[in-house]
Amino acid sequence: MTTPATGANRPEADGDVPALEARALGHSYGPREILGGIDFSIKRGEFVCIVGPSGVGKTTLLRCLSGLQKATAGELLVLGTVVDEPQPGVAVVFQDYSRSLMPWTSVLHNVTLPLRANGLKTAEAEERARQALAQVGLQPTVADLYPWQLSGGMQQRVAIARALAYNPTVLLMDEPFASVDAQTRSDLEDLVLRLQRELGLTVLLVTHDIDEAVYLSDRVVALSGSPARVADIVDVPLGTERDQIETKSTHEFAEVRAKVHGLVRHAASSGPAASSAS
Amino acid sequence: MTAPAVEETTASIAARSVTPKPARLRWILIQVAAVVLAGVVWSLASLAFPSSTLPPPTAVFARLGELALTPGFWSAVGITIATFAIALVICIVVGVPVGLAIGASTVATQSTRLLFDFLRTIPPIAILPLLLLVLGAEMEMVLVLAVGGAIWPILIQSIYAARQGEALLVEMAKSYRIPKAWFIRHIFVPGAIPFVMTGLRLGTTICLLLTISGELLGSAPGVGYEIANAQAFYDNTRMYAYVIVSAVLGLIVNGGFWALQRRLLRWHPSVRGEARS
Amino acid sequence: MSRLRTWVSLVALELWLPLLLVVIWWFASENSTSVYFPPLRVILQSFAENWLVPERALANLGPSLQVIGLGYGVALLGGIAIGTLLGLVRPFERAVRPIVEALRAIPGVALLPLFIVLFGIDQPMRILLVAYGAAWPVLLNTLDGVRAVEPTLLDMARIFRVGRARRLFQIILRSAGPQIFAGARISLAITLIIMVVSETVGASGGVGYFLMTAKSEFRISSMWSAIVALGILGYLLNILFRIAERYVLRWHRLQQARLEKAS
Repeated sequence: MTTPATGANRPEADGDVPALEARALGHSYGPREILGGIDFSIKRGEFVCIVGPSGVGKTTLLRCLSGLQKATAGELLVLGTVVDEPQPGVAVVFQDYSRSLMPWTSVLHNVTLPLRANGLKTAEAEERARQALAQVGLQPTVADLYPWQLSGGMQQRVAIARALAYNPTVLLMDEPFASVDAQTRSDLEDLVLRLQRELGLTVLLVTHDIDEAVYLSDRVVALSGSPARVADIVDVPLGTERDQIETKSTHEFAEVRAKVHGLVRHAASSGPAASSAS
Repeated sequence: MTAPAVEETTASIAARSVTPKPARLRWILIQVAAVVLAGVVWSLASLAFPSSTLPPPTAVFARLGELALTPGFWSAVGITIATFAIALVICIVVGVPVGLAIGASTVATQSTRLLFDFLRTIPPIAILPLLLLVLGAEMEMVLVLAVGGAIWPILIQSIYAARQGEALLVEMAKSYRIPKAWFIRHIFVPGAIPFVMTGLRLGTTICLLLTISGELLGSAPGVGYEIANAQAFYDNTRMYAYVIVSAVLGLIVNGGFWALQRRLLRWHPSVRGEARS
Repeated sequence: MSRLRTWVSLVALELWLPLLLVVIWWFASENSTSVYFPPLRVILQSFAENWLVPERALANLGPSLQVIGLGYGVALLGGIAIGTLLGLVRPFERAVRPIVEALRAIPGVALLPLFIVLFGIDQPMRILLVAYGAAWPVLLNTLDGVRAVEPTLLDMARIFRVGRARRLFQIILRSAGPQIFAGARISLAITLIIMVVSETVGASGGVGYFLMTAKSEFRISSMWSAIVALGILGYLLNILFRIAERYVLRWHRLQQARLEKAS
C-alpha cells in the first residue's frame, strides 16, 4: 500500500505531463453508446469544468475518469500512465453528500477512512484529517459528530475535507453543489476556489450550471449531444482573483458565459456535434 | 420491526421483478440445475448412511407418490391447512383491529407495552403441555397454540402501525376538519398496511410453525403427527416424505403471502420500483 | 424534580395494568379447585423451589442455557456468514434461491425426528437443531441488508482504494447492521422455541425436560412454574438483546429519531 501521492509538491520537471488526459475515451452500455470519442487534457494546477445538457453522459464520463468503470473505448491517462482502475492520486467528491458519508461513524472516522485504508497510522491519519477539516472551515468540534447531524453544506465540506486529506493529484467533483441552496453554493464555490489556489490542486468539476463553470474554471469543456463528444473547449481569461459579485458583473464573464451557453444550447437541440479538441 | 426494515424488504421484492424475459429463462434453468445438483448431493450422502437413516431422494419421492394416493395423507394435509387457516384468520380478525385501536391511544399503548412485551417472549411451546391436559390431543388444542403464538407479532406490529399514524391523525383531523371516520377509512388504514404486513408475514410463519409443532409434539392429527408417528415406527422414508410436505406447505404459504403483499402494496413507492435511485 | 415525576409517571403507566392483572389472578385463583389452574400462590411457591434455589435452578437451567448459548451463537455466525456470501455473490444467490426457500420453509420442529435420526438424542443434536432453525431469519435479513448497501458508499470505497476486507467489515456489515439485528431478534425467539422442543426427547435436564416430566407426573404447579420461568428467561434474554442493540445501533436510533422529528 503506497501512501497517497502528494499532489502539490511534485518537482516542476513533471510539469509538462498532463495531470489527466482522455484520449478518444468512449463508453457504451451494451449497444447504447453514451460517450463517443472524448479528447481533452488537464494540466497540473488547472481548474477545468465540464458542462453539458442533462443526460448527456456527464456522470458516465466522471465514472470512467475516476476509474470506477473501465471505458469501453479509448484511453485514460493519469500523470502520463494509462490506467483503468482507481488511482492513488485521484479523489472524488460526489453530488449526494448524504450518501457518500458513512452514517454509523463520526466525521473524523469518515475522513480518515481513505488514509487508514492506504496504510497510514491512525494517529497520523487523524492529524491530517483535523487539518483538512480546518482547511474547509469546519470547527474542531464537528469531528466527533455524526455526519447526519450536520447541515447539507457542512456535510459537503466534510466530503471535500476527506478528498483533501487524501492529498490527491487530481480532484474530481461530480455536480458537488447541485444539492445545496444558492447561498451555500456560493460559499462552497469560493471555498474550492481558495483551496485550489492555496494548495495548487488540479480540479475537474462536472456541472450543469454554466455560471458556476465559468466562474470557477481556467477552461470549460462543453460536451455535445449523443453520443457525447467534446463540442469545444473554451478558455476563461478572467484572472486568478475571482469574486462572486465583481467577476460575475464583468463584460468578459458575460462573453464567456454566452459562448458556453451557446455551445450547450446548440448541443441540447441538435444531435451529435462535430467533435473537436483545442 | 422498524419502518426501514419494511422498505428494505419490499425494495428487494421489487428488485426481484425487474428481469427481462430471456434472462429470466436462463436463470430458471440455472436454478433447476442447482436443484438437480442438490438432489445428487443428497443421493451421494444417502450412500454414506445406512439406508434406513438417510434414504435417497428417489425412495422418498416414490413413497411420497404412494402416500398421495391414500386418503389418510390428504386428511392429514387438510387438517393442517384448516387449522393453520382458521388460526391465522382468528389472529388477523382479533389482532389487527385491537392492535390498531390500542395504537391509536397513547395511554393504551403505554399501559400494554410491558405486558405484551413479556407475553410475547414466552415460547408458545411452554403452554403446550398444559393445553394438552386441558384440551387433549385435538385440533382445538393446536388451534389455541397457534393463535397464542402467532397473534403477538400481528398485534404488536398493528400497534406500531397505528402509532405511526396517530400523530398525523390528530393534526390532520384538526387542521382540515376531516371527519374522523373518513380519515380512518381512507388515510389511516391504508397507511398502516405496510407495517401491518410486516407483522402478518412473521405471524403467518409462526402460525404454520406452531400448527405443525403442536401436531408433532402433541400427537394431534395432521402433518406434524405423521412426521412424529413415522419416526416412532422407524419408518424414516415416510418421515422424510412428510417433512417434504411440510416444506411444500411452507413454500405455498410464503409464496402466497409474497404475491399478496405485492398486490396490496402496489401503490407503495418501494414496490413500484421508485426506491432510492 | 419534574423530570423525576415524568419518569415515575411513565413507569407507573406501564406497570399498572400488569400489576392489576397479577393481583386479579392471585385473588381469583386463591380458592381454585380446578386441577389445571392452581392458585397463583402455589405456583409461585413451586417457582421459588425449582427456579430460585441455586442448585436446582442450575440443574434445571444449565443444559438449556448451553443449548441456547451455543445454538444461537452458531446460528448468528453461520447466518451472517452465509447471508453475506449470498448477498455479495449475486449469481450464486439466484442459483440457490429455490433451495434456500425450500429449506427455510420447513418448520424447524418438523426436523426434530430427522435430527434425532442423524445426530442422536444428546446436546449436540439440540444445539444443531437450534442452530439450523434459528439461522434463517438472520441469514435472510443479512442477505437483504448486504444487498441494500448504499452504492455511493461502495463507489467511494473503491475510488479511495479501500481494501476488500475493510470494505466488508467497516462498510457493508455496518450498513446492514439494523437489518441483521432485526433478523437476530426473530432468531432469538425461534431459539427458545426449538430449545424447549428439543428437550422433550431424550433429555435429562433443562427447561423443556422439566416441563415434560412435570406434565407426565401430573405436577401441575411445577408445570406452571416452568411456564413462568420460561417467560422470565425469554424476557431477560430480550432485555440483554436490546441492550446490545442500543449500543451497536446507537447511530441508527439517533438518526431515525432525527428523521422522525423532521417529518
